Amino acid sequence: MLQQLANGVFAGSIYALFAIGFTLVFGILRHLNLAHAAIFTGGAFVGIELATRFDVPIWLLFPIVAGAGALAGVLLERTAFRPLSGRDDEHFAGLISSVAFGGLLIALLHARYGTEPQSFPSSYFPNRLYEIAGLRVTLMQLVTLGLALVLMLGLAWLVSKTPLGRAMRAVAENPTAAKVVGVNVTRVTAGTYALSSALGSVAGVLLALNLGQANRGLGASIELIGFAVIILGGLGSLWGAMAAGLILGLAEALTVTYFDSTWRGMVAFALLFAVLVIRPKGLFGHVKVREV
Amino acid sequence: MSDPILSVESVHVSYGRVNAVRDVSIEVPEGGLVALVGANGAGKSSVLGAVCGLVRPKSGAVRLDGKDITRWPTHRRVGAGLVLVPEGRQILGTLTVAENLRLGAHRRRRSAASESEMYELFPVLAERRSLPASALSGGEQQMLAIARAMIARPRVVLLDEPSMGLAPKMVDEVFSVIEKIRSTGVTVVLVEQNARRALRAADTGYVLETGEIAHSGPASELLEHPRVVEAYLGVE
Repeated sequence: MLQQLANGVFAGSIYALFAIGFTLVFGILRHLNLAHAAIFTGGAFVGIELATRFDVPIWLLFPIVAGAGALAGVLLERTAFRPLSGRDDEHFAGLISSVAFGGLLIALLHARYGTEPQSFPSSYFPNRLYEIAGLRVTLMQLVTLGLALVLMLGLAWLVSKTPLGRAMRAVAENPTAAKVVGVNVTRVTAGTYALSSALGSVAGVLLALNLGQANRGLGASIELIGFAVIILGGLGSLWGAMAAGLILGLAEALTVTYFDSTWRGMVAFALLFAVLVIRPKGLFGHVKVREV
Repeated sequence: MSDPILSVESVHVSYGRVNAVRDVSIEVPEGGLVALVGANGAGKSSVLGAVCGLVRPKSGAVRLDGKDITRWPTHRRVGAGLVLVPEGRQILGTLTVAENLRLGAHRRRRSAASESEMYELFPVLAERRSLPASALSGGEQQMLAIARAMIARPRVVLLDEPSMGLAPKMVDEVFSVIEKIRSTGVTVVLVEQNARRALRAADTGYVLETGEIAHSGPASELLEHPRVVEAYLGVE
């Protein structure tokens, strides 16, 4: 039972990391970026490529994947969102063009790797097992949880305490007012995408490391769970995404314990349905990014 | 006369097919206080929009120190010392008073005035510095909007309807702050519906009518001009 809960926390930390990047973009720019799952998948493949072909050690893997993700995010903003800004239907059009961007990215992965799953080298990460208070956890799980927490708390700190975060919150509240006081809204927008996509791609490589492999459907498997997390936490709420990611991970683990693993896929949507009926704003719906 | 610090040269602004501003030229001498008055919808805010880069003019040019800045983005103009105090204040209500000020200093980090200087100038803000700006009264928000512009140590401040919606006592206070800004050598462009008040404070005035400049000249003369008196000043 406790073991299941622990596993739930590890899975939940990846959900949360995926969701927080998505919700960041929505909270600040009101964009629904449906390419986020593709960026997540891309991060996994970049990680595998680096590990298998260039023998990049794991401590260097994360920053490189994050950097690649950030670049992809900037490109995404530049191609799928910025050309549409100022149009009446910019939000809906952006949603569609981000689907296209994501589809393109997945198609490129398909062209490069085919349908076969790609694996990390078997000895890439020490398969160490620890016993902590009777719980069995792998070193990878600890790294996952630790890194996810550090990144999420780091993001919350950045948004609430730094000049960039202040500018982001200003853009979130009123882009024109932000412009007037001298905020470079174009740069803040690009920066938001870079951060969001860096987090998404690191989440992707973390999931791939835990599974030992990735295929191009990796993002699709987490996408809907991720969206459930975002709505559960309240769209645009960073703390909400963190908490909801963990809650969902735990709920899945409990379902597997008490029912059957076939029910697992339903959990996210049952929770989502319940939240939408009972509290449509989400658990933390009133706490927006700008109040972090 | 020396070269103007800011000049607007036959600027046209249109929104779709609607011409908001036609062939407007304005010269602002360094250290001067220029008032732009006119009725609601006469195009005053569109002129300011073109000056600070929120609106792209269809034709014409805006120059700062003789440099053509017509195509500069707003943040770059702010960096060059041309700062707008927007209509309706546009303070960021979810940010604290102090954060609003720091945001104002964002562009000119090195040359910016300190927060404490602004608190000396606007003591009411000092007491409320850690409150969300939305908790301030309208007059206090106007002071914050002005302080947020001044902290960047601007060379030219553009004030868009700073007295709008304020109680008479607050209006007095806003105008005394404008005098204070002026006395520090900062150039001021003041857009107001309160024409009498604005022209009394200004050296030079421009009167906009349906997107065109109908009258211009020394403010003291405009205050006596029969057409201007009849249309904008009325009988006191």
